[in-house]
Amino acid sequence: MFFLQVKTTLGFSSILLLGTLGMFFMAITLVSIVVFHQRRVIRFNKQIQKMEEEKQQMLLRASIQFQEEERQRIAADLHDDAGPLLATARLYLNENLIHQEPAVQLQAIFSAKQIIDDSIQLIRNISHSLMPPTLKNFGLEAAIKDLFEKINGSGVINASARFHDNRQRLNDEQELLIFRILQELVTNIIKHSSAGFIHLTQNAQGNIVYFRIHHDGKGILQKDFEKMEHDSTGLGLKNIQSRIRVLRGKIFFEIDNTHTYYKVTIEVPREPIK
Amino acid sequence: MSFYLQSFGSPNTVYLFLLFTIVEYSFFCYFIYIILPKGSIKKAVPFLWIGFLLFAGIDYAFFSKTYEFDSIASGIESIIVLMLCIYYLFSQVKGSNNLMIYSTFNFWAVIAFLIYFSGTFFLYLMTERMMDSPSFQKMYFVINNSFNILKNLLLCVAMTMRLNSVKQQKSVIPDLDDDFYIQKHN
Repeated sequence: MFFLQVKTTLGFSSILLLGTLGMFFMAITLVSIVVFHQRRVIRFNKQIQKMEEEKQQMLLRASIQFQEEERQRIAADLHDDAGPLLATARLYLNENLIHQEPAVQLQAIFSAKQIIDDSIQLIRNISHSLMPPTLKNFGLEAAIKDLFEKINGSGVINASARFHDNRQRLNDEQELLIFRILQELVTNIIKHSSAGFIHLTQNAQGNIVYFRIHHDGKGILQKDFEKMEHDSTGLGLKNIQSRIRVLRGKIFFEIDNTHTYYKVTIEVPREPIK
Repeated sequence: MSFYLQSFGSPNTVYLFLLFTIVEYSFFCYFIYIILPKGSIKKAVPFLWIGFLLFAGIDYAFFSKTYEFDSIASGIESIIVLMLCIYYLFSQVKGSNNLMIYSTFNFWAVIAFLIYFSGTFFLYLMTERMMDSPSFQKMYFVINNSFNILKNLLLCVAMTMRLNSVKQQKSVIPDLDDDFYIQKHN
């Protein structure tokens, strides 16, 4: 009805013009909406990319800082412990020793031998802290069990581990990275959670290997982990995250349904042994 | 062509308009079928094409013989084309991984069709009844030619995009062989 009224008052030419212009502007509006939406998506993606880059930078800095701290610790161990020990041994074995009585000579040589033994032990300890020999020779399962035995030895916390499917070992690099991650997690639990027990379970499904740590202390959840990851603090967690990235794996911090135990789950895709 | 024949007093040239509509619609269907993402709409395009051919045949055989222009067939063609163009844009906005869709050939080609068919929709609908009016005939050529030129310009832009992407590909490939080139010539 309205259309007919318009037809009589405006005429066909006007209707044609109005209709054509209306359709044209609708098409232009549609195209503009698509273009503006796309631009917004691009801007948003750029922002995410920037944030990702910043996160990567932060992880890289944390990794470098960790390496520097590790170097400083080794340097301090060598300088403060090995240096004085070897200097003392040198004192015992100085030139005047040949002018001494045989009994004194024997005593000096015995003392020097003791000091050199201590130095050997010290250097072995430093070497073991860099690359655990159990891990290198017997694999991740033995290294973890060895670590847990040492923790149990303290008598403060009860640590146990169970490997369900470890017939096929991971490659050396993966094992070392996982060992470091688990070591860091266990250290954090001991330091911060006041837990009474720690239990580690390993299992595999297809090409993915799973590790889960249960503990009954005060733990963190995924959101806390992600928050700490962006903070300037939490160097250990950043190291865990950067190692997980290297492994192309995933890590989840959760609490069980009864709110009794915290659990940390690590998923790692198996890589071929080199 | 039809208008030219009509000016010489040819009694019925509607079959030429219809033939043009069918060819135009067929090319469009082929193009949109190639560029649409997989899904039910893509599968529906051949059926839409067959359905339109059947409709055009029936329209020509039973109804259009007394008319001088295929307004109904053109109107339906425009509606289908506009719907498919809008669906293509919607699918690109929603699911495409390509962020720079407005730097692709397909996008500009679809925009060209969208604008052309939007602009001429009312014109084609009214042509059948208004063809005898001299003022309308004047307006018909102005509107039709304007949108035709706009469509062709947009298709030119689309082809430029295509050429650019081909050029970029060509300029990238030799860079990859730089090391080879250096080794060979040292």
